[in-house]
Order: sequence, then C-alpha cells, then structure tokens
Amino acid sequence: MLEARGLVKSYRAPAGAPIRALDGVDLTVAAGRLAVVLGASGSGKSTLLNVVGLLEDADAGEVRMAGERVSGRGRASATRARGRYVGFVFQSFLLLPSLTALDNVLLADRYARRRRAEARRRAHELLAQFGVAERASHYPAQLSGGEQQRVAFCRAVLNDPPLLLADEPTGNLDDANGRVILDALRARARAGAAVIVVSHRADAVGGADAVYRMEHGRLESGPPSPGGGPS
Amino acid sequence: MSKILRGYAFTIAGIAVGVAGIVALGAMAERIVRFIDGGDRFVLGQISVAGRGMGMGAGFTAGGMLPAASIRAIAEVPGVQGVQAQVMLPLNPSTSQFMTLTQELILGVDLSVPTPNRHYPALPVSEGRNLKAGDRRVVAVGASFAASHGLRIGDRLPLEGEPFEVVGVLQRTMTAPDRFVVMPIEDARQQWIAKDRLLRTVIASGVAAINAADLNTGAAVGWRDGEDPDAVAHRIAERVAGVNVQIPSELSRLLRSSTAFFSALLVGIGALAFVIGGLSLANTVAAAVFERIRDFGVKRALGATDLQLGGEVLGEALAVTLTGGLVGVALAIGLGTAVDGWAARTGQQLFLFSARLLTGALVFSVLLGAAAAVYATLRVVRLSPAEAIRRGA
Repeated sequence: MLEARGLVKSYRAPAGAPIRALDGVDLTVAAGRLAVVLGASGSGKSTLLNVVGLLEDADAGEVRMAGERVSGRGRASATRARGRYVGFVFQSFLLLPSLTALDNVLLADRYARRRRAEARRRAHELLAQFGVAERASHYPAQLSGGEQQRVAFCRAVLNDPPLLLADEPTGNLDDANGRVILDALRARARAGAAVIVVSHRADAVGGADAVYRMEHGRLESGPPSPGGGPS
Repeated sequence: MSKILRGYAFTIAGIAVGVAGIVALGAMAERIVRFIDGGDRFVLGQISVAGRGMGMGAGFTAGGMLPAASIRAIAEVPGVQGVQAQVMLPLNPSTSQFMTLTQELILGVDLSVPTPNRHYPALPVSEGRNLKAGDRRVVAVGASFAASHGLRIGDRLPLEGEPFEVVGVLQRTMTAPDRFVVMPIEDARQQWIAKDRLLRTVIASGVAAINAADLNTGAAVGWRDGEDPDAVAHRIAERVAGVNVQIPSELSRLLRSSTAFFSALLVGIGALAFVIGGLSLANTVAAAVFERIRDFGVKRALGATDLQLGGEVLGEALAVTLTGGLVGVALAIGLGTAVDGWAARTGQQLFLFSARLLTGALVFSVLLGAAAAVYATLRVVRLSPAEAIRRGA
C-alpha cells in the first residue's frame, strides 16, 4: 500500500547547520500490516509520518500509495491523495474546538464528498463503537483526553482510508485509554488497512507485523532495544 | 452559522467598533454635507433680490427696503416668472446679523403668490399644515426651532407682544429653514416695525411716503423655463434701479467658498474614519484567520483543497464582517441617537445616518474584510499542513 524510497528531509536551524530529520529513509507497508516505528524525541519519526502522509514535502525521495506516485506532484495532487488514501491520528488529537464531537468526525467527510446521510450514519456507528455516542453533541473542551482521542480516531477512520498513520496516539492518554486506541489500530490493520504507528512506548509494539527504530533520521529494522524503551 | 459566529464573538466585537467609528464620523460628515448642499440647492432655485443699502433684512434678503414699485418692475423684466415679496428678520435683533447659518429668523412670505423657488416650491411640513393665503397671526416653525422652544401644533408663540398660533412644524432639512419662523408677510411687516425703532420714527414723521406694501426686505424671483437664471438676474440688475441682485451661480460659489473649511474638515474626517476603521477591521479579520491556522492545517490534512479552504474562510469572513458591520452600524446609530437626543434640547443635530452612508459603510467593511481574509488565506494555504499545525500549536 505504502512505498517510500530514499526520503530526505532537512530543517533550517535558527543557528548552525541544517538538521537532517530524514536521511535516506526507505519504508514499505503492505495492506493489512501494522508497522511500528519507535524512537526518541527528535529522532525524526514524526517527520517520517508527515512526509509519507503528504503533510509536508520531502527534499528528496518518493512516496507511492497503491502503486501511484503521490509525492512531488504539487499541492493539489498531494491534497487529493491525502483525501483518498490517508487517515491521521495525532498525539494532541487536533479536534476543532468550535465543532461538536459528531461534527469533528464528520469533518473527514466534508472534503471527501460522500453521501452525507451515509457519513452521518457511519459516524454515529463509530462513536457508539468507541463508547462516546452519548458525547456526540459535546465540544472537545467538554471531553476527557481519552474521549477526545477516541473521537479523533473515529474521524481518522470515517472514510475507511487504506493507509492509517498514528503519531504518538497514546502519548497523552492513560494506560486504559491507550490500550483502547492501540487495539483499534490493530483492528484496522486486520480489516485490511496499512497502519503505521510511531511511538516512544514499547507497548505499541504488541501485535505489530514490523518494528523499526528511528535514530538520527535513519530507519533501522529490528526489535526494540533491551528494556522496552526506544533505542 | 450561529456556531461559527459564536466562535468569532471577539472578532465581531472588534469589527463592530471599527465600523461604528466609520459610521459615526461619516454621519457627522453627512450632517455637514447636507447643511452645505441644502443651502446651495436653495440659492440655485431662485434669484434673490434685496433693496440696495443697509437695513433690517437678514439672510439672503439682507440689504435695504425693497418697495412695491421695485417688485412690480422686477416682474416686468423679460424672462421673469413670479416674484414673491418677502420679509426676513432676525428673531432676536441683538444677535449678530452675520450669523445667518445658525440664526433664528422670521420669514414673512406673500401668500397670495406662489413661491417661485424651483427646488423648494413649498417647505414641507412634518406636523400640522403649511401657511395658506388669508392666514394671519399663525406661524409654521422649523424643526430645530420647535424642538429648542418646545413648541407643538396649537401652541402660542409670543413675538413682540403678539401671540402667534403654531399651525405647522416644518420637516427637518438640516439647513437654515430648521430655525425659521414662517409667517404671513403682513404679520412680518408688523414685526419689523415693532423691532426697528428707526423705521417707526421714519413712518411717524411722514418724511417718506411708505405704504405697508413697501415694507419688504427682499423678493424671491423665478424664471421662465428655458431661461438662464444668471442671465435673468443680470437683466434685473440692469433694468431695475436700487436693487441688489444675487446671481445664483455666484452665490452658490460664494457659499461653497465660505464653507470650504467645513468641506476640508469633512474630507479629513472621512479619510480618518476610513483609515482608522479600515485598518482596525482588516487587522481584526486577518488576525482571526491567523489564529485558526491550526484548524486550517487539520482541514488540509483531512483533504481540504485550497479552493475549499479558501471558500470556507471567505464565507466565514463575509459572515463575520457583515455581522460585525451590522452591529457596528446599530452601535453608531444608538450612540448617535442618544447624543442627538441630548443635543435636540438646544435644537442641534450632530449626526445624519443617511442610507448611502450606512450602505457604503457595510459594503466597505465587507469588501475590506473579504480582502483581508483573502490575503490571510493566501498566506495560510502556502504553508504545508504540517507547518500550519506546528505554528498553530
């Protein structure tokens, strides 16, 4: 489903040499597979997710989704590909504060131009599945962190994206809520989506089909370092 | 829509303050414009003739006495159509006669002939009725005069010891007639005699043969269709001795030049209002867009195209600026009405909320708001979604 080759991404530092966040990264994740990328803060794992999710351009390299080259083709092409293939789960949830939980979920449909009634039915189903149906009319500020992440997850999967990218999805959650989200991500993989999770938590690895370590912008294949923490 | 507007409450408040500033300053400027234009329109609607010399007359009839023989002679001049004898006096003789723009005046008109002014064939009344031929001891008063003297229809107005019944209140014109006391010319002549000791002495001495019909301070003169009013005015000056003829276009120029200060003030007020209000509005809208930069990043991550995002931002900006504009207009009208209510006790009105001003202010605010939103949106959509989310965090 996802094929990334030779990804390079540097950021200008306020002073000194540019910081190379991605240094020739290759990554392939097939449909129905769950890949976990572990790494410390600043290792480049969030940048990797942004680049393969077309949230920002790489300096070099290419990204393919379902065999189609989707990187380096301009803003409009990247927007179309994001809408067609990608769902995002962010560490800080990124729910829009002016919208209710239901409207936040439906936001994913607004730009996909599906049938509204169908999207609404599906949104209610998802909210019920994740135990936040009764919070549908609440605003994000009225929800707990766990509830917000569950709503954000519903938004990410509303359109059944074939590629699901989760950036530290349990970073702001307690263990119980973290488990709910990780289980949901594994379930999406079992349902046929390609799922990539970047995390600093070793428990994210459970059920993963592939585990990578990110270090200084380089992606290494392999299990987590001893102790369960990021290498 | 209400959800969107709720999220923009402070933005709307900021826009409302800016628009209220524009509208309030604009309304003061409109008030001055109406005053100048009204006077200009009046003097261009008739040829004003006064007797040569100094006398009691005030306003456009300032000068000496204009006897009945002169009025008959004016009527004979080719091109003239209609001459109405008039008496114009200061209500209070102690007031400077030069303060004609704000002075309270008595205007006596010959009701047996139609008023020849093309732009004001009759001064419209808001209450009661206008004067008619055969009336005596009745007056129609200007709107400001009625307000400042607390007069209503049926009230008695004592003038030089004589009671006059108020039968009409004129519509507010924002010009000199707002301070007029209009009465039949016969009553005005008696007021003149009562106010002018010199005139009483002359009449009593029998030195000059003066009939009541000679006691005119001026006349309003009309012209036939197709005639050039300036040419007719010059013809009157050439053919009738002992008169001062005001050439309409020259008088208009004079009025314009004498009010040049107000015009300059008006331009300054307008420019200031647009710059301050406009900057405040544009800044508020742009800041509101930039404040939501993270939301736009999220929407783009979810697949929103530049066009969809731009359309949403523009739609919201238009709704917000229009709402802010309407609130601002309401705020300005509320404040202006309150201030005018206080000023009305002295017969003043400071604000004029004309339809063109309100429409202009709303259109201006919406266009400027849209322009600011477009500018901000163009800057936002240039950012990658990741950068937008980072900056908004």
